[in-house]
Amino acid sequence: MKERIKEVFVKQLKVKPEELKDDVRLYDGIGVDSTEMVEVVIALEKTFGMKLNPKEITKFSTISDIEKVIQSRAAGN
Amino acid sequence: MEKIAVTGLGIVSPSGIGRRQFWANLKSGRSFIKKITRFDASRYPAHIAGQIEDLEKYSHVSERLLKKIDAFSHMALIASELALKDAALDITKEDPNLVGIFLGNAIGGWLYAETELRDLYIEGRQGVSPFMASAWFPAAPQGQVSIYYGIKGFSKTVVADRASSLQAIGYARKTLVKRKLDVILAGGMEAPVTPYALLCCNTYGGLSCDNGNPETAYRPFDSRRSGFVIGEGAGIVVMETVERARKRKAGIMAYISGYASTCDGFDRILPDSEPTQLARAMRMALFDAGITADQIDYISLDGMALDLWDKTEAEAIRDVFGRRASSIPVSCPKTMFGNLLGASGAVDLIITMLAMENQAVPPTLNIDTPDPQGLDYVIGPARQCRIEKAMIISRGRGGINSILVVEKG
Repeated sequence: MKERIKEVFVKQLKVKPEELKDDVRLYDGIGVDSTEMVEVVIALEKTFGMKLNPKEITKFSTISDIEKVIQSRAAGN
Repeated sequence: MEKIAVTGLGIVSPSGIGRRQFWANLKSGRSFIKKITRFDASRYPAHIAGQIEDLEKYSHVSERLLKKIDAFSHMALIASELALKDAALDITKEDPNLVGIFLGNAIGGWLYAETELRDLYIEGRQGVSPFMASAWFPAAPQGQVSIYYGIKGFSKTVVADRASSLQAIGYARKTLVKRKLDVILAGGMEAPVTPYALLCCNTYGGLSCDNGNPETAYRPFDSRRSGFVIGEGAGIVVMETVERARKRKAGIMAYISGYASTCDGFDRILPDSEPTQLARAMRMALFDAGITADQIDYISLDGMALDLWDKTEAEAIRDVFGRRASSIPVSCPKTMFGNLLGASGAVDLIITMLAMENQAVPPTLNIDTPDPQGLDYVIGPARQCRIEKAMIISRGRGGINSILVVEKG
């Protein structure tokens, strides 16, 4: 799942895949700003077919955090 | 008022990107007006323009940033980069609080806005890029250039139709004279070759519809004039106080020595048929420069290629310059690449500085039968000519009259 999440970032933000580290906050790792996060959350919703709460996925999340949120939502929480 | 130095220029235009290519094309009198190819514009009454291809080739702007900005911000970023390089100025070594940016724009960044608005109506709210909000408005390029270079001083975007960028340069000079800043990037950018922007320009009614003859369609001061042709691009210069420019041994291309602006207060679109206010702006700019009309040896024309506009422009020149009006070289080189609207005044300043440097005035295209007569239009090849002091005329719809006086560096 991490790879699919990373693919969304690469496609939306035009960053290189190697810049995305699993446990580094997006803001610190690739300088994501809040407007970019709005775009990413919409793309993640389309990719995973679910509604996401923008408060749960922010520029201070890591790829691992996002994976947890999506897994938990997929499990019906 | 005190003179301010111009130490670098950056040009992004249909006639070339960068000073060398731009000047070579201007000097040869080659037209870059073509049928619009970016989208199917064939059903618009006027569908010719000066367009820039392959903008991406000319900059170091990342793909990530390009996704967030409109073409007019991209043009401003390239023009800024070129201007700073031309001025041999390393902006990272400046105090960012004392660097400013003053730009002019008339219509905003519609290429970005149009596609997103289309998505809004088709896909709904979620189909719209969140960057739409910060990409389209006229001050967006000012913001993007500020962020790119970390510029933190007093800055401004002027919206005054086609006079926007000349006014921005006028305000920049005033700000430097007051010693509020050390360095200013000043100029303008415009990207009107988009479906909606082109529609607005068509609705305005001033465009030439001579689509079958793009290269000869834009013919100001000619008896067969049929309106102007739009173009896209950006022109940005580096301005600083004379003592600072001398101290850092910068090459001073020109001095901005006079500026004035007046309004006709007459109509929403048309200028006053009596060019009293245009002539007043010319006299005020000369007074500001501390010189007389006798000392001007080149006039850069606005050149709308519409009866009333050309007539009033020539009348105001005759009024201010009297008998000398027939012997001062005048030209409207934008006939080669189109009227860059909000960026046109800054580009005219750049052309004037290049003309001073190369001692040659680039021609006005397509004047076969001069009308009004009585001015010394430069037609045919570029004319060899020493220019020490020049006047630049930039006018906006509804009678905005902005005048800049420039002296050779």
